[in-house]
Amino acid sequence: MFNIAGKSYAMNVITPVRWYLTWLNKLIFWVALKMPSTLKGLITLSLIHYARWVIIGKNQFPHVSPDQPREKLKYSYMLFFSNFNGSWDQYVDSFTFAIPGGLDMFWKWNVRYSKSVALTPFHRYIQYNQIETQHYYNAYPLAASNDVKSAKTVKAALIAFDQTADLGTDAEFMQRYNTLLRGLQHDLGDMYPTPIVSMSAYQVERRHRRAERALQTSRAQHAPIKQGSQ
Amino acid sequence: MGSISGNAYALTALCPIRKGIVVGEEIAYSDKVRDNLQNWNILPNSPMAQVPQTYLCRYFVLDDVYTESLSGGSAPDTLNDWLPVVPDSIRRSAMPAHDRLQSSYLVFSCNLHGGPKGDVDSYLRGMWNAISGPIREAWGYCYGFDQVTDAASFVTYMHKCMLPATLFFVGSNDDPLPEQLKALYLKQEFSRFAVANQGLDAATLRANYKSFIQRVAPNALSFPTWEPGKYQP
Repeated sequence: MFNIAGKSYAMNVITPVRWYLTWLNKLIFWVALKMPSTLKGLITLSLIHYARWVIIGKNQFPHVSPDQPREKLKYSYMLFFSNFNGSWDQYVDSFTFAIPGGLDMFWKWNVRYSKSVALTPFHRYIQYNQIETQHYYNAYPLAASNDVKSAKTVKAALIAFDQTADLGTDAEFMQRYNTLLRGLQHDLGDMYPTPIVSMSAYQVERRHRRAERALQTSRAQHAPIKQGSQ
Repeated sequence: MGSISGNAYALTALCPIRKGIVVGEEIAYSDKVRDNLQNWNILPNSPMAQVPQTYLCRYFVLDDVYTESLSGGSAPDTLNDWLPVVPDSIRRSAMPAHDRLQSSYLVFSCNLHGGPKGDVDSYLRGMWNAISGPIREAWGYCYGFDQVTDAASFVTYMHKCMLPATLFFVGSNDDPLPEQLKALYLKQEFSRFAVANQGLDAATLRANYKSFIQRVAPNALSFPTWEPGKYQP
């Protein structure tokens, strides 16, 4: 299972949509796109880096070569990709609790969609339709989505503060510095890795540990035998 | 266009994998692709770390589509389930159909900085120039990839496989990756500085701050900063 890269989890869900209702699904997304206020609920879920929905018509699967067989599908399909912080359960549950109506709106026309409430059938629906990732890359495995956003604030504030660093007395500098820290108190914080940063990092560390153990064993075997002091 | 949100771009590509078996290894091409991708997981870092402007991306092999056959909550199903007068043949026809894909697909889903116009072609050219070897490992068994010989043909090929996003939501920020990495570096370093310099007199604090700012160079994007994919603090 390679769904994790640092603090991010990659979710892939594919669900069938009745082809004759695809336009309705697209219309709902179009309205959401044109009226960003409809996505307010999603914005409150600050654990999301990026998420997307892709609707593929039953005849729209890519056909790139004459020797590739054409798809013969009865349904259109909706792909959902998300990059979020935290565990699978936390994410799915936060969707249910924060935006149950929005969720049902997006998936409403999907075949056998269970609705987001109650939780257990919804969990089962997502689990059934989820696909495991083979390789997941994250440019900042140590950072959560909130870290990326707050880092932008810290950088801007620090650069602005630095413009005034040489002005006035030391005491005035300290006063401005304390103001800076007070203003950034919700944005500062050290970033550390999660217990397993990613499967690749885990494997690398495991190999290092194995190599170190082998080196220690080899040293112990080849160490000169100390002479007694008699 | 749904694939662009601010300066971020949602690249989604479904690349059909040829049917057949790898000679000598007795595994299907789709399994070979899966195997090659999983081998990237034991490298010191992902090949994608070398591709400029990649925020997050994933690869997986889609062997087939799924249709849950348990009873569900969509309106036509419920109606049929509740009407005993409806003949069995009609009730059965209301059950979900069973779709099968004719090909497996290599799915590449990438969140990248493409600028306000979503310049995905430059991104793909940069990707080819940085990691053409790993690209061949991932795409080498796909239909039509035998036509790919350079960055331009890779861009053309990818356009055949790309699908537009219906909705793209950016919950993070859409700055260029070097900006984001520098900001993260500054956040980390300044947080540590603030903790380490508590309770000092004003003159010492100011002197320490000056040497700190000289070391971290907030306006220099390229150095010092976080490397893409850095996973140790």
